[in-house]
Amino acid sequence: MANPSLIAGERGVDHAPPVVRLRDRARPWLYLAPLIVALVVWVYGPLVFTGVLSFMSWNLTAPHPSWLGTANYSRLVHEPQFPHAARNTLVYAVVMLPFATVVPMALAIALWKRPGRVSTVYRTLLFLPVVLAPIATAITWQFLLDPLSGLVNVVAGWFGVGAHNWLGDPSSALYSVLLITSVKVVALNVLLFGAALANLERGLLEAAALDGATEWEITRHIVLPHLRRTVVLLGMLSLVVVWPWIFANVAVLTQGGPAGSTDNVYYRLFTYAFTFFDAGTASAAAVVITGALALVLGLGLLVAGRRRRAIA
Amino acid sequence: MIVKRRSVKRRSVERRNVDRVAGRRRWSPAAAVALITAAALAACGSSSGSAATAPAAGSDQKISVSFLSYNYGTPDIGGKGTQALIDAFEKAHPNITVKPQGVAVADVLTRLQTDTAAGSPPDVAQIGWSKMAAAYQLLPIVPVQDIPTRADWNAAMAGFSQHLLSAVEVDGKVKAVPYTISIPVIFYNADLFRKAGLDPTRPPTTVDEVKKDALAIKEKAGAQGVYFAVVDSGKSDYLTQSVIASNGGREVGPDGLPAFDQPAAVGALAAMQDLTTSGAQPAITATNAVAAFGAGKLGMLIGSTAVTASLQKASTGKFELRTAGFPSFGSRPAAPTYSGAGLAVLAKDKAHQQAAWEFIKFLTSAEGFTIITSKIGYLPLRPSLATDPKYLAPYFAANKLLSPALAQLDDVSPYQSYTGKRASQAVVALQDDAVEPIVLRGANPASTLSSVAGQVRGVLGQK
Repeated sequence: MANPSLIAGERGVDHAPPVVRLRDRARPWLYLAPLIVALVVWVYGPLVFTGVLSFMSWNLTAPHPSWLGTANYSRLVHEPQFPHAARNTLVYAVVMLPFATVVPMALAIALWKRPGRVSTVYRTLLFLPVVLAPIATAITWQFLLDPLSGLVNVVAGWFGVGAHNWLGDPSSALYSVLLITSVKVVALNVLLFGAALANLERGLLEAAALDGATEWEITRHIVLPHLRRTVVLLGMLSLVVVWPWIFANVAVLTQGGPAGSTDNVYYRLFTYAFTFFDAGTASAAAVVITGALALVLGLGLLVAGRRRRAIA
Repeated sequence: MIVKRRSVKRRSVERRNVDRVAGRRRWSPAAAVALITAAALAACGSSSGSAATAPAAGSDQKISVSFLSYNYGTPDIGGKGTQALIDAFEKAHPNITVKPQGVAVADVLTRLQTDTAAGSPPDVAQIGWSKMAAAYQLLPIVPVQDIPTRADWNAAMAGFSQHLLSAVEVDGKVKAVPYTISIPVIFYNADLFRKAGLDPTRPPTTVDEVKKDALAIKEKAGAQGVYFAVVDSGKSDYLTQSVIASNGGREVGPDGLPAFDQPAAVGALAAMQDLTTSGAQPAITATNAVAAFGAGKLGMLIGSTAVTASLQKASTGKFELRTAGFPSFGSRPAAPTYSGAGLAVLAKDKAHQQAAWEFIKFLTSAEGFTIITSKIGYLPLRPSLATDPKYLAPYFAANKLLSPALAQLDDVSPYQSYTGKRASQAVVALQDDAVEPIVLRGANPASTLSSVAGQVRGVLGQK
């Protein structure tokens, strides 16, 4: 026999006045409303406007943009600058990947395995570049890489390497900007890998060592599998979060040159919008970048999800 | 009944208010985006508000004028000099308050665009000449010459360099008044000249002599020879225009389209390339070259007088800094193009426009240029001040660095702008795709300039 009070309670819910039911349904949405309004105003609204503007010609101040159709997209495809910037962006992303995953992971594991005061000092020193202002860092690098009197060329000279114009030579400018940016990326990700390692029970390692596992075997079979998800996460995040740092370095050090060698789609977008005041082409570039990024991240999540299900 | 009538009246007033607000704020989606952009990027700089009810300048009522300046707020002499100008103006005009706004030099046009889109442009703006044509096209600039009466304008501009005023005229009128103007000159390290066996009292006057002296400095003084800053870090083409004009050519044709693929322009840039390939000039950026010159490692720097004060500071106690006039190509007279900035008015109502004119009149007066030259280091655009004991004669007696540029003020060639709304893109394409590869990386001058001219014509022809 059913519990009468429970039945009464269920009936009570089923037959609550419509106002009460509406209030109960609306309550979670009311809690979410500030966030939803902020997202619509600051993210999705501008996204829609950007999509609309990508079909228009507008110089940011004319009272009314004029309709252009797909001419802005056609311009992106047919002018050499945007495809060139897209290829460079791919190089940036691929070269940055090990600096976002392998290098900081190795450093984090090394620091985690030897806890103590020295490790803490190292961790602090490694994290320092993250808190330094990007523009100040870039200007410091400008002095260091000065082709006539920069410290880098002075040190290279001690080893018999001739003076090189690191940022002025198209063959080295892109990799110089990448290396400069990677310092910050490595610094941040060492901290994040360290946080992930904090969840790993050290007793597991001691047990494995008692069972005769070597240092490499412990790392290979216990530590690395524990960090798999962090690697995927930071790999994907590096596709999104490093660009403001790269942008600052490009803006200060090379302005996309020499010969467009350090240009990328983000700096090109900025150039279209705020050097050429061509909001239409800049919006078309923004739509293409957003689409490409969504596609890459979507594929990444799909692959990660399938692998997780396969393991389960 | 009375209550009902009051209620109807209140509703009617409310509706009128709503209509008025709606009429004032009929924003298109694009304007909304501009507003968001303005909020995000312009750091909410706002003008003093050019309300239609502002009192007229000259009356007892106070009025404020907002002034956007890339010199204002900087910790260097530019910032201090601008503040001195504002202080002197406010002392002379107690009823006008200046509300200055600082901005990075590279962001002036962006800031003005976003402020205008947000409905609050500054009343007066300091705009670089290389961006002026775009500014005339994009911004609601009120031609300065249209604000005062003819008599007031003529009185205010008496003694001003008439050659320069004619050079900046557009459609027969001065839309922006020349303010902080620079002319390219040769800065040279007299100590390195001596070390190389050269006479520092006889600096080079032609490009060929520049090359010869630079090679001598490199060989005998162990320093770099010369840097001709045509590859400008800010992607400005004023030095490119200067060398092309000095070689008898034009970068921009009278039709506003590229003329830099013509023989005179090709010859000018080939001469710049020859400096690099011969070893007289290092293949570095202008920023690096300025640093090298300040460190005493470069014999000559050919660039704008805008860097005079900073080079003077860097050279103090290290080496003797001197200047010479812009070099010519052979026997042709040098024809440097001016750079720097002009003052434009964006004030919306008559009262603020009149107050803006009073401010501009003061900044470009004898007193204004005395402060500009002595405190910031820009050229006095009233040349007679240099010999006037009341104004700048004592300064020029003690400081010879600006004299060569002042002597060339009447030789300057007007800054030429490309036609159409993609003019900025044309300049960047020329500097990035032609000047830099030719001068620093040995690209073929004729074919590169021809190819980029075609590219620029295509860009300028786009909608």
